[in-house]
Amino acid sequence: MDLCLTVNGQPISLAEVPGEASLLEVLRGRLGLLGTKEGCGVGECGACTVLLDGRALNSCLTAAWQAAGRQVTTIEGLAQGGHLHPLQRAFVETGAVQCGFCTPGMILAAWDLLQRNDHPSDQEIKQALAGNLCRCTGYHDILRAVRRAARWLREGAP
Amino acid sequence: MSRFIHAASLAEALAALAPGQGRVLAGGTDLMVALRAARLSGGDLPAELVDVAAVPELQQLELEGPAPLVGAGLSFARLAADPGVRARYPLLAQAAASVGSQQVRHGATIGGNVANASPAADGVTALAALGAVAVIASAQGQRPCPLGELISAPYQTTLRPQEVILGFALDPLPARTGQVFAKVGRRQALSVARLNLAVCLDERLQDPRLALGSCFPTPRRLAQVEALLRAGRPGPGLWQAAGEQAAAHFTNVCGWRESAAYKVPAIRRVTARTLAQAWALLGGGS
Repeated sequence: MDLCLTVNGQPISLAEVPGEASLLEVLRGRLGLLGTKEGCGVGECGACTVLLDGRALNSCLTAAWQAAGRQVTTIEGLAQGGHLHPLQRAFVETGAVQCGFCTPGMILAAWDLLQRNDHPSDQEIKQALAGNLCRCTGYHDILRAVRRAARWLREGAP
Repeated sequence: MSRFIHAASLAEALAALAPGQGRVLAGGTDLMVALRAARLSGGDLPAELVDVAAVPELQQLELEGPAPLVGAGLSFARLAADPGVRARYPLLAQAAASVGSQQVRHGATIGGNVANASPAADGVTALAALGAVAVIASAQGQRPCPLGELISAPYQTTLRPQEVILGFALDPLPARTGQVFAKVGRRQALSVARLNLAVCLDERLQDPRLALGSCFPTPRRLAQVEALLRAGRPGPGLWQAAGEQAAAHFTNVCGWRESAAYKVPAIRRVTARTLAQAWALLGGGS
């Protein structure tokens, strides 16, 4: 049986996906979507965060078959019509990206937060991003980026 | 290679588990780590992974009435956010909110937390304080099983391969209680608890409940501490005595192991502090 799911709006059908394969393996290995990173592989670092039906989760802890019939969004799916998402723009502008390895997971975890809460406090941002490790930035500029993106989104940025 | 089976109903899940070769997959957040380790070490994989996330029978949530029940398939994100859980069993909502990270809580379930049987599981400590009895289903029918019998040793349960946990029956509580879940860990998110504690006090201290986790091989309420609380006068002296008693119980059961140098004073102080917080929620002074 083929595994059918929607990734970044595209319906996908994949043959011979083993039951134990993680969503992360399928995204990177079968679909070539290398924006989703493998850091720890055991759910500690958040680098592999993707959205499944709009909720952030660790793709390394999710079996690919759990996504059957559902919508997966990776970092590649966030920009629309050639324009970066406000979160992506805010990360670039505030210098919240250094080596960049944690950035896709950070942005998708922040996306989940802003979808539920368009005016989060610093404490709420920290809680939402607590499952994402960054070893470069010290988090300060990541916090600023999320605050800035939240403001842009409230003001109706494209 | 494991075959993946989406169970749409309890009957389908039990039929898939009946041969005894399958593993139940709920959120996957513990099981996927175990499967990864098995693959890396060349270990055996289960013949079937039976996904129970869509089984409606595991999603029940009945909080009012004489027989409260929490479905095993409810995620920690759901338990942390549910207004009913927050109002009736706030210590369970607090424990759920303290598990893993946002990403983990979206997948991880209370039933999976119990089935994984980690001695540090936050959900297990909360359920223990609430007198949880697991309702276990197989093709042969259903059986109740108290939490302390279900979890037999660290990472071991008496659950048979053909069985699935349907949910947890909780003790009904008085209308007014002070409930607090406390946790000591190294990092705010994703920390495996070094110590976790669930406390539920009623206004007359007739039925105080205190469960301590990450300290013993299996989940437990501390009956001696609860007896002390029932007999004493609420106040700082009693909370401190309860902390001493809890720490003494830990060393009696586990002996003086290396971690005790840290854990004993931590148990003493966290117990006293958490009891004071729970009592303050009832309007009592500290």
